[in-house]
Parts: sequence; C-alpha cells; structure tokens
Amino acid sequence: MLQVLLSGIATGAIYGLVAMGFSVTFYVTRVINFAQGQLLTVAIMVAAAAAAAGWPLVIAMLVGIACAMLAGVVVYFLAVHPVLIFSRISYAWLVTTLGVAVALENGMALIWGTESRPFPPLLNGYNIRIGAATVTGEDILAVAVAIISVLAFELLRKRTLFGKLGVAVALDPEMAAAVGGNTTVMAVVAFVIGAFLAGVGGVLAGPTTFGNPYLGDTFGIDGFIALMIAGTDRPSAAMYGGMILGILEQGSIALINPEAGSWVPFLVVLVILLFMPKGLFSVGNPLERMTRRLVHLRQIET
Amino acid sequence: MNTQVLAGQAHATRAGRRWKAVAMALATVVFLVGSLAVAHGTLYFQSLVLVAAVFAILALSLDLVAGATGLYSLGHAGLFAFGAFGTTIISTDWHWNVFLILPVVVVGVGIIGLVLGALSLRVSGLYFAVTTFVFTLIVSVLASELSITGGPQGLIGPAFPSFPSGSFLGSSTSWCVMISLLGAIVVAWNIRSSSLYPVLLAIRDAEPFAASVGVRTSAVKVGIFGVSAGLAGLAGWAFSFLGVVSFGQFNWTVSVNILVMVIFGGINTGIGPIIGAAVISIFPAYVNISPLWQEVLFGLLFVVVIVLFPSGVVGLARLVGDRLYLLGDRLRTRGPVRAVPSVGLRISGEDSAGAVGEARLTASELANGVGEYHGDATRDSGGALAGTERESALEIARREPAVECHGIEFRYTANGADVLSGVDFVVAPGTIHGLIGPNGSGKSTLVDLIAGRRAPLAGTIKVNGHSVEGHGPERRAHYGLMRTFQSATLVDDLSVQQNVMIGLYTKVRHIALRAPAGPLLFGARRDRRLMEQRAGDVLAWVGAEGWRDLRVSGVPHGVQQLTQLAAAYSAGPITLILDEPLAGLSPGEAEHVAEMLRELRDAGVSVILIEHQTRFVFSLCDTVTVLSAGEVVTSGSPSEVYANTRVREVYLGQ
Amino acid sequence: MSDAGPPALEISSLYAGYGRYDVVRDVNLTVGRGEAVALLGPNGAGKSTVLRAIMGMLRHRRGSIRVDGVDLIGLPTHQIGRGHAALVPEGRRLFLDLSIEDNLILGALHLRRDKVRVDQLLASVYELFPQLEAYRLRPASALSGGQQQMVAIGRMMMSDPDIMLLDEPSLGLAPLAIDAVVEALLALRARGSALLVVEQRVDLAIRLCERVYVVTGGEIVVEETSSSLDVAGTDLIKAYLG
Repeated sequence: MLQVLLSGIATGAIYGLVAMGFSVTFYVTRVINFAQGQLLTVAIMVAAAAAAAGWPLVIAMLVGIACAMLAGVVVYFLAVHPVLIFSRISYAWLVTTLGVAVALENGMALIWGTESRPFPPLLNGYNIRIGAATVTGEDILAVAVAIISVLAFELLRKRTLFGKLGVAVALDPEMAAAVGGNTTVMAVVAFVIGAFLAGVGGVLAGPTTFGNPYLGDTFGIDGFIALMIAGTDRPSAAMYGGMILGILEQGSIALINPEAGSWVPFLVVLVILLFMPKGLFSVGNPLERMTRRLVHLRQIET
Repeated sequence: MNTQVLAGQAHATRAGRRWKAVAMALATVVFLVGSLAVAHGTLYFQSLVLVAAVFAILALSLDLVAGATGLYSLGHAGLFAFGAFGTTIISTDWHWNVFLILPVVVVGVGIIGLVLGALSLRVSGLYFAVTTFVFTLIVSVLASELSITGGPQGLIGPAFPSFPSGSFLGSSTSWCVMISLLGAIVVAWNIRSSSLYPVLLAIRDAEPFAASVGVRTSAVKVGIFGVSAGLAGLAGWAFSFLGVVSFGQFNWTVSVNILVMVIFGGINTGIGPIIGAAVISIFPAYVNISPLWQEVLFGLLFVVVIVLFPSGVVGLARLVGDRLYLLGDRLRTRGPVRAVPSVGLRISGEDSAGAVGEARLTASELANGVGEYHGDATRDSGGALAGTERESALEIARREPAVECHGIEFRYTANGADVLSGVDFVVAPGTIHGLIGPNGSGKSTLVDLIAGRRAPLAGTIKVNGHSVEGHGPERRAHYGLMRTFQSATLVDDLSVQQNVMIGLYTKVRHIALRAPAGPLLFGARRDRRLMEQRAGDVLAWVGAEGWRDLRVSGVPHGVQQLTQLAAAYSAGPITLILDEPLAGLSPGEAEHVAEMLRELRDAGVSVILIEHQTRFVFSLCDTVTVLSAGEVVTSGSPSEVYANTRVREVYLGQ
Repeated sequence: MSDAGPPALEISSLYAGYGRYDVVRDVNLTVGRGEAVALLGPNGAGKSTVLRAIMGMLRHRRGSIRVDGVDLIGLPTHQIGRGHAALVPEGRRLFLDLSIEDNLILGALHLRRDKVRVDQLLASVYELFPQLEAYRLRPASALSGGQQQMVAIGRMMMSDPDIMLLDEPSLGLAPLAIDAVVEALLALRARGSALLVVEQRVDLAIRLCERVYVVTGGEIVVEETSSSLDVAGTDLIKAYLG
C-alpha cells in the first residue's frame, strides 16, 4: 500500500506538472491547450538530442525546456490568438490546438524518427527504502520539483505585480485592460508558463519513458484528466489532481490488473464530472461545503 | 444595411416546391447511379468511398447536435464504437441476421446517446464537451482491454450477405453502406426542413427565447442527441462490414476528426458534412507523401480551416454566389385597424374554482382558427369545441389576477445587497400595467422572477391564478405567460417569419417526434403551411410583414422588437411581459407598438410593460408601479403616479 | 484653476453602439481642464455607452475623442488606460480575489517603474480614504458596497489620468455611503482633476459638477451650467418622466 502511495505520488508529480500547465493557460485565457502534451515531448526530444550530441546533462535539459517554451509561444500565435479574437465556432481552439499538436508530434517524428531514443538517467541507481517501499532518486526529485513549482507559482501569483495582473486578467479581462494590462501579453506569458511546466515534467519523466515523439498523447491525456479531477479554479490544485491520478493509477494496477490503470482513472473522472463538474478543489464545491459544514458542527459542539 | 434572403428557405411558392421536388428526385437518381459505380469499382476505390461514406454519416449526425443545436459533442467516436462493436459481437456470438441487428443497434446506441446526453447536459457548454470526451476515452480504452472486443487486435466484422451471383448490382456491402448514407441524409434533411429546426437554432443561439415561448429545451436537447446517437450507431453498423473493428478506430482523435469534417465542409449546412467527410477522410489518398508529412499537413489543415475558413467550403461557395439585397420597403405605417386574430389558448390545470381547463389545440383545431382570419372577425365562428373552450379559458383568466406577487425577496449572492425586498406586485387581468424605476431598481430582476428565469428567496408568485413555484419559463409558458427580452433575443440566422414560428412550436402536436420522418408523414406539410400562414398573419398585424423573409441579423432594431413581440404573441399568451419593447424605435414605430398593445388589452390579454421611455408609459398604461432600490414606491393610475412627489424624488433625487 | 492647454476631454460627432445600431448619435461634449461635468439622463439613454466609447471598449465607434489633445479612437483599451483615461465602472468591478492594496497598485500599472510616484499616489489615496489604509491587506470581496466604491475611486486615482470617468457612482449605495462618495469626488475636484460623471440623480450631479449635459434617446438634449439648470423645470422632468 505504501509503495502504491509513494509511486503514485511520484508519477503523479509529473502529471501534476502537465496539469498545472493546462490550468495556468486555462485560468488566464479560458482555452485548454491540447498541445500541452506535445510541449512536454519537445523538451524530452530536444534534451535527449542535446545529450546525445555530448552536451552536459543539465544544459541539455535547460535547452529542452527553453525549446518547449518557444514552442508554447508558437502554439499561442498559431492556434489560439487568431480564434480568440473572433470565431463563429464556440470551441474552435479545441480543433486548432489539436491540429498544432498533431503537426508538432509528427514534425518531431520527422526530425528524430519514430523510435524511442535513449534519455540519460538523472540520479541513477539512487534508491531509498521507506518501510516496505522503495523510491528512486528520480521519484524524489520529481516530487521535490513539484512542491517547488507549486510554491513558486503561489509566490508569483501572490507576491509579484505580474502575478496579480494575471489574476486580474482571469477575473475581469476588460477591467484589467482598462487599468493598462495588455491581455495578449498576459496570454502569451500564460502559455509560456504552461510550456515551462510541461517541459520540466518532460525532462523529469525522460529517464523512465525515454525519448519518443508520441509521448505527448498519453501525457497530455493524463494531465488533462488530472486537471478535471482537481478543477480549473485554482492552478495549484492541479498538482494535487495529478497526484490523485497517480495514486489511482498505481492503485488500480496493483489491486485489479495491469490494464486497469488505463481505464479506472477515466471512470473516476467521469463520476467526478457528473457530480462535481468543477472538480474536487473548485471554489464552493460539494466536498468543500461538506467539510466546512463538519468543521462548523465541530465548532458548535465544543 | 445588408440583408440577405435566406437561400433555400425562401417562402415556398407552388412553383418553388415543384422545383425542389424535381431537384431532390434528380439528386437521388444521381446518388443511386453513383452507388452503382462504386459497387462495381475496384476494391481500393471502394474502400476509399465507403469509409468516406461512413464518416459522412457520422459528420451528418454530429452536425445535428453541434451545428444546429450548439452541443459540441466529442463522444461520437464512442457511440460509433458501440455501433460497430455491437453489430460485430451480436452477429458473431449470437448469430443474428444482420438486418435484424440494424434496428437493435440503432435503437440501442440511441438509448446510450439519450443517457449520455441527459448526464452531460447537466453541465454547461465546455464541460459538456469534456464529459463526452471522457466517455469516448473510456470506451476506447475498454475496447482495447476487454476480451469481448478482441483486445488490441479487435474483431473481424461480420460479412454482409451478398447478392445472388450474376446480379448486375455488384458488391452488396457497397450498396449497404451507400443506402445507409442515403438513409442518414434523408433523416438529417427531414429534421432540417421540419419545424423543429428553427427551434434547434433557437436553443443554440437564443435559449431564453425558446424557453420563454414554452419549448422544453432540455428535453429537445436530449432528444436530438439521441437521434444523433442512433445515426452514429447506423454508421457503426455499416462500418462493421468493411473489415476489422478495433479500438484504434474509435479514439478521441476520431471524435475531433469528425468535428473537423463538419467544420471544413460547412457547419450547419445540408451537404457541408458530406463534403467535409469526403475530403478529410480521403486526404491520405491524394496527399501522397510520407505518412509523417501527411500527418503534419493534416494537423496544419485543422488550423487553416478554422482560422481562415470557419464557414467551410459551403460557406465560401455562398459568399461567392450570394446577392446582396438592399432594403425594400420601410416598415409599413399603420394600416387599417385589424382585429386581433383570436388566439388559440392553451392552458392546463384548473383555476381555483376547480374547473378543468385542458384545452389543447391540435393542428386541426388551429386550422379552424385559421378559417377566421379573413376580414375583421373579432369573435371566432370556428369549430364548436374551439369556441366554447376558448371562451371559458378567457373567462377563467379574467377572474384571477394576471400576475400576483407577494413578499418577494431576492439577492444575487448570499451576502449581497437585497435586490428586491418585500415586493408586492399585482396585475389585474386585461390591463396594461407599467413597471418603471431608475436604473438598478430591480425591474428586470422582478420580471425574471415572474417569468421563471430565477427563483425568489422568499415570497409567492402566481401566474393567471396558478402558483408557479419551482416551474421554469417553459412551464409558465404553458400557463399562458410569455415575455420578450430587452436585447432582442432572436435567432440571427433565421428569417423574421421563422423566428415567429418558433413561438408556434408548442401549439402544434408532435413536431419533434415527426421531424426525423419529416414531410413524408401526412399532416406535417399541412401543419407547416398553417404555421407559416399564422406566423404571416401575426407579422402582418404587427406591421412587419414586409420583412418576413429577411434574416433577423439584417433587419433594423425596431423590426427585431416587433419580431419578438410577434413570436411571443403567436404563442397565444394570456399574459405578456414586454421588457423595453420601445428601445431603439422611432417615435412613429413606438406609437404603432403602443397601438397594438392597446388592441391586445382590448382582446383580454394582460400586458406588463417595462419601459424607460416614460412618456409612453403614462399615456399607455392603466396602472403604473414604481420600483426604487428594490422596493415598491407606489402603484396606481398614471396621473396619480406622475404627480406623486416621492416618484419625482426617486428619479430626480430631490 | 485651469492651466493653458487642450481640454481634458473633447468629443465631437461621436456615433457609437454595440453592433446592430448606434446607441449614441452625434454626441459633442467637452470637459475643460480641472472641470467636473455630469452626463445626466434616464436609463437606456446611452450615457454609459459614451464612457465605454472613451475607454475603447466598443468596437463600433466613429467620430473624434480627444483627451488632452490625444485622439483615442483607434487606441486599444489597455493603452487608453495608461494615463489617458481611467474608469470607475458601474458595479465597481474590483478584482475581488485581490487585496485592497493590490487593486490600488494595479491601477498604477503603467507607472510601476516609478516607485516613488506610485508611493506618492498611494499615500494620497489613503489620505483621502483612511479607512482603506486600515484594511489594505483585506481581500476586496470582504468590503461593503460603499467601501468597494472607495477602492474603485482610489484605483482610478492611482492611474493619474488626464480625465476621470465615473459611471453611476451612487448606484446601489446606502445614503451614508453616497455622501462619502460625493465628499471624495469633491476632494478630487478640489485637487484639480477633470471629471466626467454619469449619473441618474440630478441632485448629486449638480452638487458635484459645474456643468451638465442631459442625454435622452442617444442624443444630447440639454447643455447647461449647474447653477442655471432649472431642476424643477418641465424640460428636465420631461426628459426623465416623459
């Protein structure tokens, strides 16, 4: 059980990073970027290629992340900006971001081939035993990065003028513009942050998954599912969604059968969507109301 | 100002209808000849065309929900999977005849669609798409895992029984798919040309309007989703004969592909989805380069289509071929006084004295009513049943106040300020009652509460004697309450007349049920003609007849207001709420509307009027209520209110 | 009181609307430097539309809008909000999840590099509204309507704009809060700010402003100085009550 929990949290950290990326872009622009998974893949492929070319590992990873961020800007201007201004079709961005995702993915396959490429290990063979469970060094790194990301994001949101402007744009884009905020710039920044998070997730996942251009499909779906579990109200909550997803996945693999890891999470998400469509961590959701009521009851009793 | 005559929806003249029938017959012949050609083609050619045909069915089905009703479903690949796997499993394991499986699969997937639709519609737009998306995810993952679906390899589809050897018809599988496509085209076309279609557009573009004239929007949405699912099941059935059925053919990207086909061809057009399906699914065949480059181009194609050609191929064609018509007549000035046509009332339930009043007019009774429209009949001489029922209904309505509100409290958020507090509001039947007050006084909110768009925190509301707690706008419409909206909430893409006909939707029986079978059913065409005539009459009464066939988006604001009024009126209200009907009207137009309201009142309809052009309010209304800061300041005759110093204080702040 | 220079606001031949039809037609109005001017009229007359047109929030506008000589037609909202004009919108529209001070600081977004100036502006806002300084770290959602209005006015002040625009500042407020708002605006006037105030209440408008325009049906029907406006006169009553 402990192993399930710990492995789940570790894999969930990666999902959570992707989910946070989804969430940040959605929070500011109200668009779900279906190319998010592919941005993660860009980071992995570029880092793998750079490492294979002999660059030091850390540099290769940073370059990978940087390329992912660049790709994020391209996705915005190609697929989102043209349809945000005016589109007769309600969910046009659904199709355009997916189109860019397909193009990106196969573009990478063109450059680097469809076979998986090796990805240098990060903290090789560094294992810790906690009780009956084992965690790898990479697992710990992933979780640490996840925690740092959440903290950093919250810091950005609450302490910088920039972060506050982002909140303002999310709350009331018209008034944010009226006080001088350039909503297009904010949207681009949201996409860059989202791409950064995806990129970080990518280079962390790389050692386990190796470099394959089609990784984006599964990671994108997983990140999206994590987002739906957590809800779109609070970007930081997406990380918890990721971890819940990771635990669900590992748990169903352990308790049912290896394939259950694929469909059990989807089923759970469907149930959540039907009864708490705004996710587990949304503002004012039934869970929160229940806990608040319980706490209130406790207070009355004492 | 541009106005465009709607192509294909113009007023049907005799000659026009004959041309249409010829064109349809010709198209069917061409289709059958083409099918023959396909049935004799090479295997490669057949595989291309038949797959495209299956996707055409899917695209048509998606267009019904996404294009016409505005429900962007990503679940159609999942429904498609149910159809294909269902057919294969029933055929292989239970050995049923494939023709027997057809209705089972269509109805079965239709029911799954009803359930999925009902569940997903509890959430709004984006989450609807997300829920259907997750549905497809689950279906495709389960399909890859379960042994009954053959796991990752899938199953081999059943063989379609072939024609007796020596037949000139060629491949029977080919005919099966093409006839299925023909069937789907017929169903989709029927729905598009039925009286249900404007209602679907209204749900897509102006849902409050549809609800306010009594359309049960949730039921219609679920219903159309079920029909669409049935078509997807048909596509699955046909697809299973083409070879292997495996999970990879039904994943979520397929759902998006279908959407792209719809958009590429032209969303919400008749043949757009077919064109889109043909082009997109055959894409790999003519773009003959390395598969990876194909995919890259495919992805970029998505982007290009949405960004540059959101109206699709058909939209482009229309742009090129359209003529712009300049304005014809100005709005006709007031002609000879026309008697108000007798209104086909429809109330259910009982009044407080216990009398039963289920006076539901069928289309034939509406026809009786039509007979009276010549000349200036003020009382009908129509069918006995219609006459006496309507009299008593009117008298019932006369006994009760049109609207009765007591102790209304409302605020938007839990800690927010009171928007309405302790409001009592009674409207006597058969009067014009004005509701005025400064901005933010709560007038629109009170009207929303009466109409059922929101629920009060406290207080009671009765409409025409019926307590309406918990009833939405659709139910209240059935008690005879209709309303218009401040910003003309109409369907821009439809003509003025079609918008008015939406108001008639609830007056004719079984429009929705008959729609898929369409004009083939007797009575449908006659009902349609009656509705058109009735709508035309109401428009003439309102004075907007000259704009009848013009798109709402192209007519002046004043005419849109008149259209709203006509639509609300054609639904046969006993009580009519008008939210700023004179906004944007010239003085002449406003006087014309005022005159019509007086006619309505004289015919027994109660009118509640919110208006800021207070000069009209005081000359038109029998009673005026003034609201300020959520409370009633005073209520009384216009002269009383006008002279009331408190009222002047409230407006001018003295 | 007035410096030499172009008027704070000069609108000529403004036609504006939301797409289908023009809500305001052929509007001409001026606000001199340091002057306070009111736009009166019944609801639906188009007053708010004029303010939105100035802020660039309408797609359909033609004519000329000059603030301190600069033509605003053609500028996007976020550029207009960088010191040309600032708006206290109807319903206040604060960034409710952010603190009072954050809301204020965002008002001075375009001045963020000049920390000294921002601090000065903040100090002057707190001087005018000492209550806000006490609650400066509280989220804006926790405030009453009247307090929120103060924050909205403060946010506008932080922008140090050439023209200050207010859309029905008294709407939905209790009488005490309204008094406080009026006092604050009078103080702003005393500091030499140019104001354009949309109001439904004639008495408040006259108290605040030197000149009034009355708008009905999208057009300006009356232009008077406050002192010579015949409040009980039939013209005004007709404009409101018909």
